[in-house]
Amino acid sequence: MARLHRQPICVASALLVPLLVLGSPQWISIDGVGPAWALLWLLPWALTDGPISGAFAGLALGLILDGLSLGGVTQVPALLALGWWWGRLGRRGSQIHRSLNLGLLAWLGSVGLGLSVLLQVLIREGGSLDAFTQSWGWQTLWCQALMTGLLAPMLVSLQLLFWRRRVPS
Amino acid sequence: MAPSLRPGKSRWRGLGQLSPWLLLVAGLLLVRFSKGAGFADAYALITRPFWPGPAQREWILSARTVEDQSRLQLLEQDNLRLRDLLELQRNGSRQDDVGAPVISRSPRGWWQQLELGKGALQGFQAGDAVLGPGGLVGRIASVTPATARVRLLTAPGHEIGVWLPRSRSHGLLVGRGSSRLTLQFIDKDPNVSPGDLVTTSPASTLLPPNVSVGVIQSLNERAVPSPTAIVQLIASPEAIDWVQVRTR
Repeated sequence: MARLHRQPICVASALLVPLLVLGSPQWISIDGVGPAWALLWLLPWALTDGPISGAFAGLALGLILDGLSLGGVTQVPALLALGWWWGRLGRRGSQIHRSLNLGLLAWLGSVGLGLSVLLQVLIREGGSLDAFTQSWGWQTLWCQALMTGLLAPMLVSLQLLFWRRRVPS
Repeated sequence: MAPSLRPGKSRWRGLGQLSPWLLLVAGLLLVRFSKGAGFADAYALITRPFWPGPAQREWILSARTVEDQSRLQLLEQDNLRLRDLLELQRNGSRQDDVGAPVISRSPRGWWQQLELGKGALQGFQAGDAVLGPGGLVGRIASVTPATARVRLLTAPGHEIGVWLPRSRSHGLLVGRGSSRLTLQFIDKDPNVSPGDLVTTSPASTLLPPNVSVGVIQSLNERAVPSPTAIVQLIASPEAIDWVQVRTR
Protein backbone atom coordinates (compact mmCIF):
# COMPACT_ATOMS: atom_id res chain seq x y z
CA MET A 1 0.00 0.00 0.00
CA ALA A 2 1.49 3.33 -1.05
CA ARG A 3 1.78 5.99 1.60
CA LEU A 4 2.89 9.07 -0.25
CA HIS A 5 0.82 11.35 1.95
CA ARG A 6 2.85 10.32 5.00
CA GLN A 7 6.06 11.69 3.56
CA PRO A 8 6.38 15.37 4.47
CA ILE A 9 8.71 16.16 1.58
CA CYS A 10 6.18 14.83 -0.93
CA VAL A 11 3.32 16.73 0.68
CA ALA A 12 5.44 19.87 0.80
CA SER A 13 6.04 19.64 -2.94
CA ALA A 14 2.39 20.70 -3.37
CA LEU A 15 3.48 24.19 -2.28
CA LEU A 16 5.11 24.56 -5.69
CA VAL A 17 1.65 24.71 -7.26
CA PRO A 18 0.48 28.02 -5.73
CA LEU A 19 3.98 29.44 -6.24
CA LEU A 20 3.89 28.56 -9.93
CA VAL A 21 0.34 29.89 -10.26
CA LEU A 22 1.38 33.19 -8.71
CA GLY A 23 4.62 33.32 -10.69
CA SER A 24 2.78 32.43 -13.93
CA PRO A 25 5.93 32.41 -16.10
CA GLN A 26 5.00 33.99 -19.41
CA TRP A 27 7.52 31.96 -21.37
CA ILE A 28 5.54 28.79 -20.58
CA SER A 29 2.30 29.98 -22.09
CA ILE A 30 0.32 30.14 -25.30
CA ASP A 31 -1.17 33.57 -25.91
CA GLY A 32 -0.66 34.36 -22.22
CA VAL A 33 -2.44 31.22 -21.00
CA GLY A 34 -0.23 28.92 -18.95
CA PRO A 35 -0.71 25.24 -18.08
CA ALA A 36 -2.93 23.98 -15.27
CA TRP A 37 -0.11 23.58 -12.73
CA ALA A 38 -2.44 21.93 -10.23
CA LEU A 39 -3.11 19.06 -12.64
CA LEU A 40 0.58 18.55 -13.32
CA TRP A 41 1.07 17.90 -9.61
CA LEU A 42 -2.20 16.11 -8.95
CA LEU A 43 -1.88 13.52 -11.74
CA PRO A 44 1.27 11.76 -10.46
CA TRP A 45 0.11 12.14 -6.86
CA ALA A 46 -3.23 10.45 -7.50
CA LEU A 47 -1.69 7.75 -9.71
CA THR A 48 0.75 6.90 -6.95
CA ASP A 49 -1.34 7.37 -3.82
CA GLY A 50 -4.82 6.22 -4.77
CA PRO A 51 -8.32 7.66 -5.15
CA ILE A 52 -8.99 8.85 -1.60
CA SER A 53 -5.66 10.59 -1.27
CA GLY A 54 -6.08 11.95 -4.82
CA ALA A 55 -9.52 13.34 -4.09
CA PHE A 56 -8.32 14.89 -0.85
CA ALA A 57 -5.30 16.41 -2.60
CA GLY A 58 -7.61 17.77 -5.31
CA LEU A 59 -9.87 19.31 -2.68
CA ALA A 60 -6.93 20.87 -0.84
CA LEU A 61 -5.38 22.26 -4.03
CA GLY A 62 -8.75 23.56 -5.19
CA LEU A 63 -9.29 25.41 -1.93
CA ILE A 64 -5.82 26.97 -2.06
CA LEU A 65 -6.20 28.02 -5.70
CA ASP A 66 -9.69 29.42 -5.08
CA GLY A 67 -8.14 31.51 -2.33
CA LEU A 68 -5.54 32.84 -4.74
CA SER A 69 -7.94 33.80 -7.51
CA LEU A 70 -10.86 36.12 -7.91
CA GLY A 71 -14.12 34.72 -6.60
CA GLY A 72 -17.16 33.64 -8.55
CA VAL A 73 -15.83 30.41 -10.02
CA THR A 74 -14.33 27.43 -8.19
CA GLN A 75 -11.92 24.69 -9.25
CA VAL A 76 -12.72 22.40 -6.32
CA PRO A 77 -15.30 20.06 -7.96
CA ALA A 78 -13.15 19.41 -11.03
CA LEU A 79 -9.93 18.84 -9.08
CA LEU A 80 -11.68 16.58 -6.57
CA ALA A 81 -13.23 14.47 -9.32
CA LEU A 82 -9.97 14.27 -11.28
CA GLY A 83 -8.02 13.25 -8.16
CA TRP A 84 -10.52 10.45 -7.54
CA TRP A 85 -10.54 9.28 -11.19
CA TRP A 86 -6.76 9.30 -11.60
CA GLY A 87 -6.38 7.54 -8.26
CA ARG A 88 -8.68 4.74 -9.43
CA LEU A 89 -6.77 4.47 -12.70
CA GLY A 90 -3.52 4.15 -10.74
CA ARG A 91 -4.93 1.32 -8.64
CA ARG A 92 -6.27 -0.64 -11.58
CA GLY A 93 -4.19 -2.94 -13.69
CA SER A 94 -0.69 -2.12 -14.81
CA GLN A 95 1.10 1.07 -13.87
CA ILE A 96 0.68 4.03 -16.20
CA HIS A 97 4.07 5.39 -17.11
CA ARG A 98 4.10 5.97 -20.85
CA SER A 99 4.60 9.60 -21.77
CA LEU A 100 1.77 9.60 -24.27
CA ASN A 101 -0.68 8.19 -21.72
CA LEU A 102 0.35 10.76 -19.13
CA GLY A 103 0.06 13.57 -21.66
CA LEU A 104 -3.38 12.36 -22.72
CA LEU A 105 -4.61 12.06 -19.12
CA ALA A 106 -3.35 15.56 -18.30
CA TRP A 107 -4.93 16.93 -21.49
CA LEU A 108 -8.27 15.31 -20.65
CA GLY A 109 -8.05 16.63 -17.10
CA SER A 110 -7.34 20.14 -18.32
CA VAL A 111 -10.28 20.01 -20.73
CA GLY A 112 -12.50 18.80 -17.86
CA LEU A 113 -11.27 21.58 -15.58
CA GLY A 114 -11.83 24.17 -18.31
CA LEU A 115 -15.33 22.87 -19.03
CA SER A 116 -16.24 23.05 -15.35
CA VAL A 117 -15.05 26.66 -15.17
CA LEU A 118 -16.83 27.55 -18.40
CA LEU A 119 -20.02 25.94 -17.15
CA GLN A 120 -19.88 28.02 -13.98
CA VAL A 121 -19.32 31.18 -16.02
CA LEU A 122 -22.32 30.20 -18.15
CA ILE A 123 -24.51 29.74 -15.07
CA ARG A 124 -23.27 33.01 -13.57
CA GLU A 125 -24.09 34.89 -16.78
CA GLY A 126 -27.64 33.60 -16.73
CA GLY A 127 -27.43 30.70 -19.17
CA SER A 128 -26.11 32.43 -22.27
CA LEU A 129 -22.72 33.76 -23.28
CA ASP A 130 -22.10 36.40 -25.92
CA ALA A 131 -19.74 35.72 -28.80
CA PHE A 132 -16.75 37.47 -27.20
CA THR A 133 -17.01 35.55 -23.93
CA GLN A 134 -17.49 32.27 -25.78
CA SER A 135 -14.42 32.96 -27.87
CA TRP A 136 -12.39 33.81 -24.77
CA GLY A 137 -13.63 30.69 -22.97
CA TRP A 138 -12.83 28.22 -25.73
CA GLN A 139 -9.48 29.85 -26.49
CA THR A 140 -8.44 29.70 -22.83
CA LEU A 141 -9.63 26.11 -22.53
CA TRP A 142 -7.74 24.83 -25.57
CA CYS A 143 -4.58 26.84 -24.88
CA GLN A 144 -4.42 25.57 -21.31
CA ALA A 145 -5.17 21.98 -22.34
CA LEU A 146 -2.44 22.08 -24.98
CA MET A 147 0.15 23.50 -22.59
CA THR A 148 -0.77 20.99 -19.88
CA GLY A 149 -0.72 18.09 -22.31
CA LEU A 150 2.67 19.14 -23.67
CA LEU A 151 4.31 19.59 -20.28
CA ALA A 152 2.81 16.49 -18.66
CA PRO A 153 5.00 13.81 -20.30
CA MET A 154 8.09 15.56 -18.96
CA LEU A 155 7.04 16.82 -15.53
CA VAL A 156 4.60 14.06 -14.56
CA SER A 157 7.06 11.32 -15.61
CA LEU A 158 9.75 12.84 -13.40
CA GLN A 159 7.44 13.11 -10.42
CA LEU A 160 6.18 9.55 -10.91
CA LEU A 161 9.77 8.35 -11.05
CA PHE A 162 10.72 10.08 -7.79
CA TRP A 163 7.55 9.20 -5.90
CA ARG A 164 7.42 5.55 -6.98
CA ARG A 165 10.99 5.16 -5.79
CA ARG A 166 10.04 6.55 -2.39
CA VAL A 167 6.90 4.44 -2.03
CA PRO A 168 7.23 1.27 -4.06
CA SER A 169 3.82 -0.32 -4.38
CA MET B 1 36.54 84.19 -94.75
CA ALA B 2 33.94 84.71 -97.46
CA PRO B 3 30.47 85.86 -96.30
CA SER B 4 27.79 83.20 -96.44
CA LEU B 5 25.25 83.32 -99.20
CA ARG B 6 22.54 81.91 -96.89
CA PRO B 7 21.51 84.44 -94.21
CA GLY B 8 19.43 81.77 -92.27
CA LYS B 9 22.51 79.80 -91.38
CA SER B 10 24.13 82.75 -89.62
CA ARG B 11 20.87 83.24 -87.65
CA TRP B 12 21.03 79.64 -86.39
CA ARG B 13 24.65 80.10 -85.50
CA GLY B 14 23.68 83.13 -83.41
CA LEU B 15 21.08 81.11 -81.65
CA GLY B 16 23.60 78.35 -81.05
CA GLN B 17 25.87 80.88 -79.39
CA LEU B 18 23.00 82.05 -77.23
CA SER B 19 21.83 78.58 -76.20
CA PRO B 20 23.98 78.27 -73.04
CA TRP B 21 22.52 81.51 -71.80
CA LEU B 22 19.01 80.38 -72.67
CA LEU B 23 19.59 77.17 -70.76
CA LEU B 24 20.84 79.16 -67.79
CA VAL B 25 17.72 81.34 -67.84
CA ALA B 26 15.51 78.23 -68.10
CA GLY B 27 17.36 76.73 -65.15
CA LEU B 28 16.91 79.88 -63.12
CA LEU B 29 13.22 79.95 -63.95
CA LEU B 30 12.99 76.32 -62.84
CA VAL B 31 14.63 77.19 -59.57
CA ARG B 32 12.28 80.12 -59.15
CA PHE B 33 9.10 78.15 -59.82
CA SER B 34 10.18 75.13 -57.75
CA LYS B 35 10.77 77.47 -54.80
CA GLY B 36 14.45 76.59 -54.79
CA ALA B 37 13.75 72.90 -54.18
CA GLY B 38 17.04 71.67 -55.58
CA PHE B 39 19.08 74.14 -53.59
CA ALA B 40 17.20 73.48 -50.37
CA ASP B 41 17.48 69.71 -50.75
CA ALA B 42 21.16 69.92 -51.58
CA TYR B 43 21.71 72.20 -48.60
CA ALA B 44 19.86 69.76 -46.36
CA LEU B 45 21.96 66.88 -47.66
CA ILE B 46 25.25 68.69 -47.14
CA THR B 47 24.45 70.10 -43.71
CA ARG B 48 22.85 66.92 -42.32
CA PRO B 49 25.85 66.12 -40.04
CA PHE B 50 25.51 69.51 -38.41
CA TRP B 51 21.80 69.34 -37.65
CA PRO B 52 20.65 69.70 -34.02
CA GLY B 53 21.15 66.32 -32.36
CA PRO B 54 18.70 64.26 -30.29
CA ALA B 55 19.93 65.93 -27.10
CA GLN B 56 18.52 69.26 -28.20
CA ARG B 57 15.28 67.65 -29.32
CA GLU B 58 14.93 65.93 -25.93
CA TRP B 59 15.61 69.23 -24.22
CA ILE B 60 12.77 70.82 -26.15
CA LEU B 61 10.48 67.85 -25.45
CA SER B 62 11.34 67.92 -21.77
CA ALA B 63 10.57 71.65 -21.64
CA ARG B 64 7.25 70.94 -23.32
CA THR B 65 6.50 68.17 -20.79
CA VAL B 66 7.23 70.51 -17.90
CA GLU B 67 4.96 73.09 -19.47
CA ASP B 68 2.20 70.48 -19.95
CA GLN B 69 2.57 69.24 -16.38
CA SER B 70 2.34 72.70 -14.89
CA ARG B 71 -0.67 73.41 -17.09
CA LEU B 72 -2.26 70.13 -15.98
CA GLN B 73 -1.64 70.99 -12.34
CA LEU B 74 -3.32 74.36 -12.76
CA LEU B 75 -6.26 72.73 -14.53
CA GLU B 76 -6.58 70.10 -11.79
CA GLN B 77 -6.62 72.77 -9.11
CA ASP B 78 -9.24 74.61 -11.10
CA ASN B 79 -11.20 71.40 -11.54
CA LEU B 80 -11.11 70.63 -7.81
CA ARG B 81 -12.27 74.15 -7.00
CA LEU B 82 -15.17 73.78 -9.43
CA ARG B 83 -16.04 70.33 -8.07
CA ASP B 84 -16.14 71.82 -4.59
CA LEU B 85 -18.50 74.47 -5.85
CA LEU B 86 -20.69 71.78 -7.42
CA GLU B 87 -20.40 69.64 -4.27
CA LEU B 88 -19.20 66.64 -6.31
CA GLN B 89 -16.87 63.91 -5.05
CA ARG B 90 -13.37 65.27 -4.55
CA ASN B 91 -11.31 62.11 -4.86
CA GLY B 92 -10.00 62.87 -8.33
CA SER B 93 -6.71 64.34 -7.27
CA ARG B 94 -3.39 62.68 -7.89
CA GLN B 95 -2.27 63.44 -4.36
CA ASP B 96 -4.14 60.30 -3.24
CA ASP B 97 -2.20 58.01 -5.62
CA VAL B 98 0.05 55.37 -4.07
CA GLY B 99 2.50 53.52 -6.29
CA ALA B 100 2.53 49.73 -5.96
CA PRO B 101 4.61 47.05 -7.70
CA VAL B 102 2.90 44.27 -9.63
CA ILE B 103 4.22 41.04 -8.06
CA SER B 104 2.06 38.59 -9.99
CA ARG B 105 -0.02 38.97 -13.09
CA SER B 106 -2.39 36.87 -15.10
CA PRO B 107 -3.94 39.16 -17.69
CA ARG B 108 -5.19 36.16 -19.67
CA GLY B 109 -6.62 32.86 -18.57
CA TRP B 110 -9.64 32.08 -16.40
CA TRP B 111 -8.93 34.69 -13.75
CA GLN B 112 -7.70 38.04 -14.99
CA GLN B 113 -6.03 39.67 -12.06
CA LEU B 114 -2.93 41.40 -10.74
CA GLU B 115 -1.33 40.92 -7.36
CA LEU B 116 0.18 44.10 -5.90
CA GLY B 117 3.03 44.29 -3.40
CA LYS B 118 1.19 46.71 -1.10
CA GLY B 119 -2.00 46.26 0.84
CA ALA B 120 -4.09 47.32 3.77
CA LEU B 121 -1.05 48.66 5.64
CA GLN B 122 -0.65 51.28 2.92
CA GLY B 123 -4.33 52.21 3.16
CA PHE B 124 -5.61 50.13 0.23
CA GLN B 125 -9.15 48.81 0.44
CA ALA B 126 -11.49 46.84 -1.78
CA GLY B 127 -12.96 49.01 -4.50
CA ASP B 128 -9.99 51.37 -4.89
CA ALA B 129 -9.23 52.27 -8.48
CA VAL B 130 -5.97 51.00 -9.99
CA LEU B 131 -4.36 53.08 -12.72
CA GLY B 132 -1.57 52.27 -15.12
CA PRO B 133 0.15 54.36 -17.76
CA GLY B 134 -2.74 55.33 -20.00
CA GLY B 135 -5.64 55.07 -17.62
CA LEU B 136 -7.78 52.80 -15.50
CA VAL B 137 -6.67 49.14 -15.29
CA GLY B 138 -9.07 47.70 -12.73
CA ARG B 139 -10.27 47.82 -9.16
CA ILE B 140 -8.98 46.20 -6.00
CA ALA B 141 -11.02 43.08 -5.24
CA SER B 142 -9.46 42.11 -1.94
CA VAL B 143 -6.56 43.10 0.30
CA THR B 144 -4.25 41.46 2.79
CA PRO B 145 -1.96 43.49 5.06
CA ALA B 146 0.87 43.35 2.50
CA THR B 147 -0.81 42.59 -0.83
CA ALA B 148 -3.83 43.58 -2.88
CA ARG B 149 -5.63 41.64 -5.61
CA VAL B 150 -6.83 43.63 -8.59
CA ARG B 151 -9.73 42.55 -10.77
CA LEU B 152 -8.83 43.76 -14.24
CA LEU B 153 -11.38 45.56 -16.38
CA THR B 154 -10.97 42.77 -18.91
CA ALA B 155 -12.19 40.08 -16.48
CA PRO B 156 -15.38 38.50 -17.83
CA GLY B 157 -18.43 40.01 -16.18
CA HIS B 158 -16.57 42.96 -14.65
CA GLU B 159 -18.80 46.01 -15.12
CA ILE B 160 -18.17 49.71 -14.56
CA GLY B 161 -20.11 52.80 -15.52
CA VAL B 162 -18.31 55.03 -18.03
CA TRP B 163 -18.77 58.39 -19.71
CA LEU B 164 -18.18 59.56 -23.25
CA PRO B 165 -17.04 63.19 -23.04
CA ARG B 166 -17.65 64.08 -26.71
CA SER B 167 -21.24 62.90 -26.91
CA ARG B 168 -21.87 63.44 -23.18
CA SER B 169 -23.49 60.03 -22.79
CA HIS B 170 -23.27 57.23 -20.25
CA GLY B 171 -22.63 53.52 -20.81
CA LEU B 172 -21.80 50.28 -19.07
CA LEU B 173 -18.39 48.82 -19.83
CA VAL B 174 -18.34 45.01 -19.53
CA GLY B 175 -15.22 42.81 -19.52
CA ARG B 176 -15.20 39.97 -22.04
CA GLY B 177 -11.89 38.26 -21.35
CA SER B 178 -9.82 40.10 -23.97
CA SER B 179 -8.40 43.61 -24.14
CA ARG B 180 -11.49 44.61 -26.11
CA LEU B 181 -14.44 45.34 -23.89
CA THR B 182 -18.11 45.75 -24.70
CA LEU B 183 -19.73 49.09 -24.05
CA GLN B 184 -23.49 48.90 -23.62
CA PHE B 185 -25.23 52.20 -24.13
CA ILE B 186 -28.25 53.30 -22.21
CA ASP B 187 -29.59 55.62 -24.93
CA LYS B 188 -31.01 54.33 -28.20
CA ASP B 189 -29.05 56.95 -30.10
CA PRO B 190 -25.76 57.47 -28.27
CA ASN B 191 -24.23 59.67 -31.01
CA VAL B 192 -20.75 58.16 -30.78
CA SER B 193 -18.25 57.20 -33.42
CA PRO B 194 -15.05 55.12 -33.57
CA GLY B 195 -12.15 57.00 -32.02
CA ASP B 196 -14.19 58.57 -29.22
CA LEU B 197 -12.54 58.58 -25.81
CA VAL B 198 -14.15 56.63 -22.95
CA THR B 199 -13.56 57.90 -19.40
CA THR B 200 -14.97 57.39 -15.96
CA SER B 201 -17.97 59.52 -15.20
CA PRO B 202 -17.25 63.06 -13.90
CA ALA B 203 -19.94 62.48 -11.26
CA SER B 204 -18.80 58.96 -10.31
CA THR B 205 -18.75 58.08 -6.63
CA LEU B 206 -17.26 54.58 -6.99
CA LEU B 207 -14.36 55.47 -9.29
CA PRO B 208 -12.18 58.56 -9.59
CA PRO B 209 -13.84 60.96 -12.04
CA ASN B 210 -12.48 61.78 -15.49
CA VAL B 211 -9.93 58.99 -15.75
CA SER B 212 -9.36 57.77 -19.28
CA VAL B 213 -10.30 54.14 -19.88
CA GLY B 214 -10.23 53.36 -23.60
CA VAL B 215 -11.11 54.30 -27.12
CA ILE B 216 -14.13 53.16 -29.12
CA GLN B 217 -13.07 50.85 -31.94
CA SER B 218 -16.33 49.94 -33.58
CA LEU B 219 -20.02 50.49 -33.09
CA ASN B 220 -22.93 48.08 -33.46
CA GLU B 221 -26.02 50.23 -33.86
CA ARG B 222 -28.27 47.24 -34.59
CA ALA B 223 -27.73 45.58 -31.20
CA VAL B 224 -30.85 44.92 -29.15
CA PRO B 225 -32.09 46.46 -26.84
CA SER B 226 -29.58 49.31 -27.24
CA PRO B 227 -26.45 49.90 -29.34
CA THR B 228 -23.13 48.46 -28.22
CA ALA B 229 -19.54 49.33 -29.01
CA ILE B 230 -16.17 47.63 -28.78
CA VAL B 231 -13.69 49.54 -26.64
CA GLN B 232 -9.94 49.08 -26.76
CA LEU B 233 -8.27 49.71 -23.40
CA ILE B 234 -5.55 52.36 -23.32
CA ALA B 235 -3.57 50.86 -20.44
CA SER B 236 -2.21 47.40 -21.17
CA PRO B 237 -2.04 45.14 -18.08
CA GLU B 238 0.40 42.79 -19.83
CA ALA B 239 3.16 45.38 -19.78
CA ILE B 240 2.70 47.12 -16.44
CA ASP B 241 5.24 46.65 -13.66
CA TRP B 242 4.01 49.47 -11.43
CA VAL B 243 0.53 50.82 -10.93
CA GLN B 244 -0.97 53.74 -9.06
CA VAL B 245 -3.72 52.99 -6.58
CA ARG B 246 -6.06 55.89 -5.93
CA THR B 247 -7.01 55.46 -2.29
CA ARG B 248 -10.26 56.80 -0.89
